[in-house]
Amino acid sequence: MKVIDLDSIKAAWKIERSFEDPILSEADIQHFLSGKSKDISQLFRKGLIFDIVLKSVVGASLIGVFFLLRANQPLMLISAILMLILWTIRYQWHMISRIPKATASDPVIRTSLENKVKFYHQHFRKSLYVGALSNSLFILSGMLYYFYFKYGEIRPFTWDDYLVFGVIIIIGFALGAYVQIAQHNFQVKQLESCLKEIDEESMSALTLREQRNKKRRLILIFLLALVCGLLLLAFFIFR
Amino acid sequence: MTHERTNQHFLELIHRHQSIIHKICFVYCKSRPDQEDLQQEIILQLWKSFPSFQGNAAFSTWMYRVALNTAINQTKRNGLLIDSSSSPEIPYDPSNFYDLSEEIQILYRAISQLRKVEKAIILLWLEEKSYEEIAESMGISVKNVSVKLVRIRTRLAEIIQKLQ
Repeated sequence: MKVIDLDSIKAAWKIERSFEDPILSEADIQHFLSGKSKDISQLFRKGLIFDIVLKSVVGASLIGVFFLLRANQPLMLISAILMLILWTIRYQWHMISRIPKATASDPVIRTSLENKVKFYHQHFRKSLYVGALSNSLFILSGMLYYFYFKYGEIRPFTWDDYLVFGVIIIIGFALGAYVQIAQHNFQVKQLESCLKEIDEESMSALTLREQRNKKRRLILIFLLALVCGLLLLAFFIFR
Repeated sequence: MTHERTNQHFLELIHRHQSIIHKICFVYCKSRPDQEDLQQEIILQLWKSFPSFQGNAAFSTWMYRVALNTAINQTKRNGLLIDSSSSPEIPYDPSNFYDLSEEIQILYRAISQLRKVEKAIILLWLEEKSYEEIAESMGISVKNVSVKLVRIRTRLAEIIQKLQ
């Protein structure tokens, strides 16, 4: 079987000149600079901006309902929902401001991966749940409009109304959260697998180090036993 | 330095050292869209990080780090929400872009079977970076680099043997 000499391949790599050809012109580089990044932090950012826009639309539509129903009923409920929307928009906005610092590329590959994965698990996942609330709020706002245009008012709910609409709102939330988490998990898992790959041999290296230390300990114990044995022997001989 | 001058300086530096981008794309890309995406992402990340370049290290060393980091951090999109049919996978043949020797073409096919971090380490090894430099770039110990390199080289040799 032919033995592969990697050093000769390395030498071939070293003298390979094709990579040195200036394939990209300065105009090409400038063109790339005008493009948009597809980095995972941009994905986080785009998701948050989309959610803020969606929540703002829902908020505006609820303000519309508020004015339409002015003389009628659940203004307290609508006000509470509007407050909730404002809080969630503020939360998502705050999250956007954290992205550049938390996910900035570090010159060390391991640290860079760790930063991104840590940001996702510690902060961004929470914002996905906050984002999934948009679905529920969207359904709620749609329902209020439906009732207003159909009945001209919001009729008092009975227990089965609460049950049906409650289930629809919860399903909307759960589905939104599931899709968003699945989408982001898919990408974060790729980063995690790289991190795991970096750490793999750390474990093997650790095991090797442990074994070496164990061997050293055994040699030391053996030497100590030998010295003790020789001392004992000398004691019995010369006493 | 004004923005325009910085921009021009950056363009010149990237143009001069673009072989680094080509080598990294050579190692990491499996399709034409992949190659274009990675080239763009590397250039954007280099531009973003350019203000942090202090000049303590050589520009090529700094560029290598940022570009490798970008390649490793590049993630594939989820087919669940993105229509993969809109960007068909055009097989990437590096010999269409580079006039490569047969040995390097086999090396490409072998490297494409390695994992992301393995690719980075083998590329740095091919570029004759020291164990210390590799360890510093990756964020692992020198000992760990040597353990990894032994394993990756063995694997690479096995793959090349199968390919030949």
